[in-house]
Amino acid sequence: MLDWIIEFVRNNFQTLFRITFFPGLTFLFVFTIFAVWFQRKYLARLMLRMGPVHAGKVLGWLQLIADAFKLMTKEIILPKYAYKKLFLFSAITLPVIPAAAIALIPFGPGYAIFNLPGYTAPLFLGIMSLYPIFIILMGWASNNKFTLIGAFRTIYLDVAGEIPIFLAVLGVMIWAGTYDLQTIVEMQRSMWFVIPQFLGFIVFFISYFAMIEKAPMDIPEAETELVFGYRTEYTGALFLDTMMGDYINVLAWTLLMITLYFGGYNGPQIFADPILNGAFWILIKLIILLTITFTVIISYARLRIDQAIRLGWYYLIPLALANIVLTVILKSLGV
Amino acid sequence: MSHDMQRYLTDPFQEITELGEGLFRLNIGPQLPISGQGRFLVVTDGELVYDIEVDIGYSHRGIEKILEYKNYIQGVVPLERMVMLDTSNILMGFVRAVEDLYGVEPPPRAKYIRTIINELNRISSHLYALGLFAESAGWNPAVFIWTTADREPILDLLEMITGARWSHSFFIPGGVRADLPNGIKERILDTMDYIEKRLEVYEDAWIYNETFRLRTEGVGVLPRDKAIEWGAAGPSLRASGVAYDTRKNEPYSAYPELDFKIVTHTAGDSYARGWVRFEEMKVSIDLIRQAIENIPEGRVKKTLPPRPVKQEALARAETGRGEINFYIYTEGRDKPYRVKISPASFRNFFVIEQLPKIQEIKLADVPPLLYSFDPWFLDADR
Repeated sequence: MLDWIIEFVRNNFQTLFRITFFPGLTFLFVFTIFAVWFQRKYLARLMLRMGPVHAGKVLGWLQLIADAFKLMTKEIILPKYAYKKLFLFSAITLPVIPAAAIALIPFGPGYAIFNLPGYTAPLFLGIMSLYPIFIILMGWASNNKFTLIGAFRTIYLDVAGEIPIFLAVLGVMIWAGTYDLQTIVEMQRSMWFVIPQFLGFIVFFISYFAMIEKAPMDIPEAETELVFGYRTEYTGALFLDTMMGDYINVLAWTLLMITLYFGGYNGPQIFADPILNGAFWILIKLIILLTITFTVIISYARLRIDQAIRLGWYYLIPLALANIVLTVILKSLGV
Repeated sequence: MSHDMQRYLTDPFQEITELGEGLFRLNIGPQLPISGQGRFLVVTDGELVYDIEVDIGYSHRGIEKILEYKNYIQGVVPLERMVMLDTSNILMGFVRAVEDLYGVEPPPRAKYIRTIINELNRISSHLYALGLFAESAGWNPAVFIWTTADREPILDLLEMITGARWSHSFFIPGGVRADLPNGIKERILDTMDYIEKRLEVYEDAWIYNETFRLRTEGVGVLPRDKAIEWGAAGPSLRASGVAYDTRKNEPYSAYPELDFKIVTHTAGDSYARGWVRFEEMKVSIDLIRQAIENIPEGRVKKTLPPRPVKQEALARAETGRGEINFYIYTEGRDKPYRVKISPASFRNFFVIEQLPKIQEIKLADVPPLLYSFDPWFLDADR
């Protein structure tokens, strides 16, 4: 038995390393904790506050780990009249979906968890479109007015954001002439697609906030009227799980943005190893984009749901369609 | 447990039968992040709001009754607890009523000191209100923390003058407790320059921000005639185009000698109410500058005579949330027989309850609508 395991690990070392360390589970856990810490610290500075300072000697870096442990030790309260199986299942499954999508993102030349040739970009969108369904299940299963309203708002927001973002990705796929994320990244060696696909990028960037459900489009969890939206009834480790899902979702969409528009792992040669170099550049781009995202989060008031849908259908979808037409014209002219 | 009770517990939407097809009652508060020390019962179908019921009384402390057991100078201290942000303006009405009872006119220097402290308090109250208003429109707490931080220099000033940051108990019937400290004039003028600079930053950052206007413009429009009919108070009334301000219409303290205009807006929506507060802060800065330049020399307090000369008195003052009325009835002792307080928030809550009847309000509009009135449950509960 042991021999078999050693043999298996030796034969599949590359794949197992990717799944367990980078860009797999360890990276996701560490980066989620880093992203939350970074958000708290960065937003605190913009608010003239200090943010966490006490746990850990430097910049309160232990705070998030302490918070996670605290949440894990808390009681998990199952509401008496909730649909308990669905309540547990939807929350536990939530982080799996964006994590599965991240498995398709190339972090270096030929370095993704699943090196599928071919249709990875549509597959990524397909997996990510499952995410709102689990949010709706969470809101429904909690059997609570606030969570239910939050869940229905997710449906509306999905209509407003998912269609433009898919159309924007379609523009990139037409421009690149391929469905493959790896090939799309390789084609950006000379020029990032944010330049020829600028219209599409604008659509992507605005819809991105609807997809990650952060301000100005944190409509489903509108704190002021809905407590915490679909997440209201979750406590302890389950709450931690849903927050985890939230931030892995942010990570997945940001990684897709980098892959499609900002040259993925491409960057000046710093490390000799191309995979190490790619991972380095993708992390640098990730931090820069997260900083921009957090700056937007703090700069705007929350839109109302009808305003978000109007933005999506009146402005973003026509803009995305115009981008597709423009892309087709440019392609047929052979630019 | 009866069968009906069982059914109610398993089905939170059982209320459908009593409210109508597809409607249910949403309980906003008293533990919701934005609700304050009270509760709003909102009848909604998930998106549109059909009725808002304000449930006050969670923080009733019987201040009117407490005042019957205290003499007029002791009464100042519990009375301030009505609105801790705006203590001196709340006190102003009471102090005026007592001075009317005893037939005492405070010395001119005391009047100017009162005006300065009133206006400093008004700025700090409006800053806090606007911060909450922005947060209720779905802003991250950034704006709220900025405005709270910018209250600090004002609170420091008040501490220098009165000895306390919040509850000064500085106004007493007959004047103020103490004279201004040395060197306060430069300090006040410096602080006013700082606040003015910060207000410019606010204009750029969020008062004229596009999303903020999208969320608040056209929300909860209070027409001029309805504002008068339902008795809206303070900035909420002035935002509907009614130029009524107690400081101008029934001037007290040093206001008759100072030059200022009443800020009004014609739109009557939530944004207008916030805007009126914002512009009033500029007026207050101007008033403080005028008052500190023209302040006369002399005494700051007079001693009250042993017995009141009148039996009853009615006085009003403009607080941050609107006009406050005090009616005092006395039987000739050093304590009031009855004090009746009519605070501004109480009247504004009535207006909030009426608003869904004349227009369409969405559920997401409820928090900005409420906070545009700057509701203060402690004020309404008394």
